[in-house]
Amino acid sequence: MTAVRVAAAGLALLLAAACTAPPPPPRGETGTAAGTVCAPPKGAPGKETATTIEVVEQAYFCILGNYHSGATPDARSLLTAGFTALTQELNRNGRDLPDAVMPTLTGDLKADWAAFETAYRKITGQVPDLRDKLAVAALEAIVAALDDEHASWAHDVGQPPDYYDGDGYGLGLEANVNASQADGGLAAAVPPLFVTTVQGGAAQAAGLRPGDVIESINGSAPFIDGKATRAIAALYPRYPQARPVELSLLRQSTGRRRSVTLQPGLFQRDLADLQVVRSKPLDDIAYVRVTSFLPDSADRILRAVFRLRRGRTLSGVVLDLRGNSSGSATEATRLLSAFAHGKVTAYHCTAGDTCQSLRTDDTVELLGLPLVVLTDRGCASACEHFASAVKDLRAGRLVGTRTAGMVSGPAQPYLLTNNTILNLPAEHHLGPNREVVDRIGVPPDHYVPLTPEDAAAGRDLALAEALTLLHR
Amino acid sequence: MRRLLAAATGLALLAASACSAPTPPRAAAVSPTPTGPATLPAPTGPHPVGTTALYLKDTSRPDPWNLDAEARELKVTLWYPAKQRDGQRAPYMTPKESELLLRGTQITSAPYDTLSRTRTNSIKDAEPAGRSLPLVVLSPGFTKPMSTLTSLAEDLASRGYVVAGVDHTYESYATTLPGGRVAECLACDSNSDPGFGAGLVQGRAADVSFVLDQLPSKWDGAGRIDRSRIAMVGQSIGGSSAMASMLEDPRVRAGIDMDGTAYARIPKSGFSRPFMFLGSAQHVSGGPAPTWDRDWKLLTGWKRWIVLSGAEHQSFTDTPLLSDALGIKPLPGVLPAARAAELTRTYVAAFLDQHLKGRRQPLLDQPSSRYPEAKFCPETCAPS
Repeated sequence: MTAVRVAAAGLALLLAAACTAPPPPPRGETGTAAGTVCAPPKGAPGKETATTIEVVEQAYFCILGNYHSGATPDARSLLTAGFTALTQELNRNGRDLPDAVMPTLTGDLKADWAAFETAYRKITGQVPDLRDKLAVAALEAIVAALDDEHASWAHDVGQPPDYYDGDGYGLGLEANVNASQADGGLAAAVPPLFVTTVQGGAAQAAGLRPGDVIESINGSAPFIDGKATRAIAALYPRYPQARPVELSLLRQSTGRRRSVTLQPGLFQRDLADLQVVRSKPLDDIAYVRVTSFLPDSADRILRAVFRLRRGRTLSGVVLDLRGNSSGSATEATRLLSAFAHGKVTAYHCTAGDTCQSLRTDDTVELLGLPLVVLTDRGCASACEHFASAVKDLRAGRLVGTRTAGMVSGPAQPYLLTNNTILNLPAEHHLGPNREVVDRIGVPPDHYVPLTPEDAAAGRDLALAEALTLLHR
Repeated sequence: MRRLLAAATGLALLAASACSAPTPPRAAAVSPTPTGPATLPAPTGPHPVGTTALYLKDTSRPDPWNLDAEARELKVTLWYPAKQRDGQRAPYMTPKESELLLRGTQITSAPYDTLSRTRTNSIKDAEPAGRSLPLVVLSPGFTKPMSTLTSLAEDLASRGYVVAGVDHTYESYATTLPGGRVAECLACDSNSDPGFGAGLVQGRAADVSFVLDQLPSKWDGAGRIDRSRIAMVGQSIGGSSAMASMLEDPRVRAGIDMDGTAYARIPKSGFSRPFMFLGSAQHVSGGPAPTWDRDWKLLTGWKRWIVLSGAEHQSFTDTPLLSDALGIKPLPGVLPAARAAELTRTYVAAFLDQHLKGRRQPLLDQPSSRYPEAKFCPETCAPS
């Protein structure tokens, strides 16, 4: 389960950004901690140390004590998953052992753990050099066994030593199958694979352009029989992955085919592009692009609209939430409160279906303007919370493509003794009609996908459709 | 990677880890009664200290934070050697500034105007004295008004430096501008954005260059400054701004970053003007915030990296000196306020005396028995 690690590393890069102000108190998405085995981190975690069997034990009991989002996890299935991964790791290293046999579990949490730990120690006593690797494999598998997209274990969150605030890491491109899809959402990917954004780095140096169709990655096809393959994941290497990636490209405008080899690395990004909230007037429409629902973002968005409204009669608002992949439910709810009052924007429910309703904050001034929201497969988490509320409450219209379907519920971070973080959702998310949005996503009211031709020409048909709808 | 939300909740934590340590709220450590207004420690140099404020307006660029402001307005506070010791003491800050700072920092253990009653050692608008004086630009931490570095500024002025402290408008909880307008922290809205620190220090570098351009025409005493001897010192992101300013403006000959995570991109070819990192344990070599390790390799000229045992992020500011007045009990194990101020003043002055006054300072060459708290990195400091 490299996903967790990858996500965490990406975030570290992205979020290392900010600085120095007292960190905002956690809002909205964070619940309260229970249990004594593990507690939420206070301040920045210290330097990460090796994952020992004691850390795995802490995580195991932390999950059993604090995971309330879905069905109560079956302790035996967690340990079985952990042991499975451990034997696979042994095998991959060519070091399988005759007595690497699953211990018998009885259903008694503590006794079962003791049996697991005994088996682990017996095995690692014979392959001491694999000790840490086996513990990591086991813990990753235990967390994966929860089968919950918001349950994760962030470890090996390293930063390139030459990293500066705002830098990106990778090939320097984004494709229509984005990094999170490539990592775990390939089922929804649609051919052809093409470049949507050149951010910098190797992609820029090699002259890639939006619209360039990627016909193969390291010699493998991105799609076979219309289904996306894991080869696509190579487009998004994460530090410390540094193996060069070979792409075969087709530029449709010229018909030219060529191969390029891109070396992953740090690349400098345009600081203006990194601003989370950006706004501009498009004639009588306020256009606001929001890349994350960070703390304060709702107020930033609303202030931007009010500013555009000064000295101008607005006839609508376009919120461009494409690629908006994270943030806080509080911000999503607050933003919605500018378009509807007296409504529930989502429910957060425990496994026993005790639900807490997230209500609009009716002290937020209503904008009284028609709204169009631009969505795509990169709109995840708080973005989908907002999009589903807009749709269900008829607060506006959605244009673009279906959202990511990654909104399982608000997660609580727990600090483990080796300074890694275990994230466990306390509740699961439901839309305003109590419908499940996680994995399914929110379909747009007006389906306007991006094509390689439009990407190459810099045409934004989704935005054009939004403006047409607002002017109708 | 359907784990975005989960990861995002760890956001504040991760972001904080990249930052210089934020001000601890310390609400739990509040002692029952504030002691009444603080008095800043007396400056240690021979000269009386005067102070005055300048208001500058850069019409060549829009304000980076206030999109409705077509010019960048700056308040610059000068501290300088003065002719006389008598006269009216300058206020530390206004009651309104005190209130906005305490509210912003969530300190409720003392009346909101408490900091405005802090007693300073500088004479308001005193006549300047001396000639051919070196200049030190000071830049405060994010959200902090310039006045939070007054103890250091007064001490440097008493030692014969002109100090120009810049309030970077909208990057602090409170900056009073002409006409009594009070600019609040607009930058606080976006401080979680990726690239925020990198952008902010670039803006501060532009602020500093503008201040250096304007000083001769805007201050009567400017003729007393030797413009070939300019350094910059800052705390937290103000420290990182010292490097950013030096990279942009060759007039700044030397710089000190006091406990600030480094954001300014040093060219791969290196940087050769004198630079000193002076920090808390947060910035030991191989520690959790590795930006000093990264930049240390790129410093090719005179350089020092000193970590003070027991220091915390605010030890380099007036904050510890104001704790009693605010009814805040110091954290256990942290340097006492007076000692923190002494160490900060001593090492900053030593650096400036060596690089602007050409007086060699053995204190900077090796550990000192008088100041055993100062550890020389990377050789003799390591993560605890």
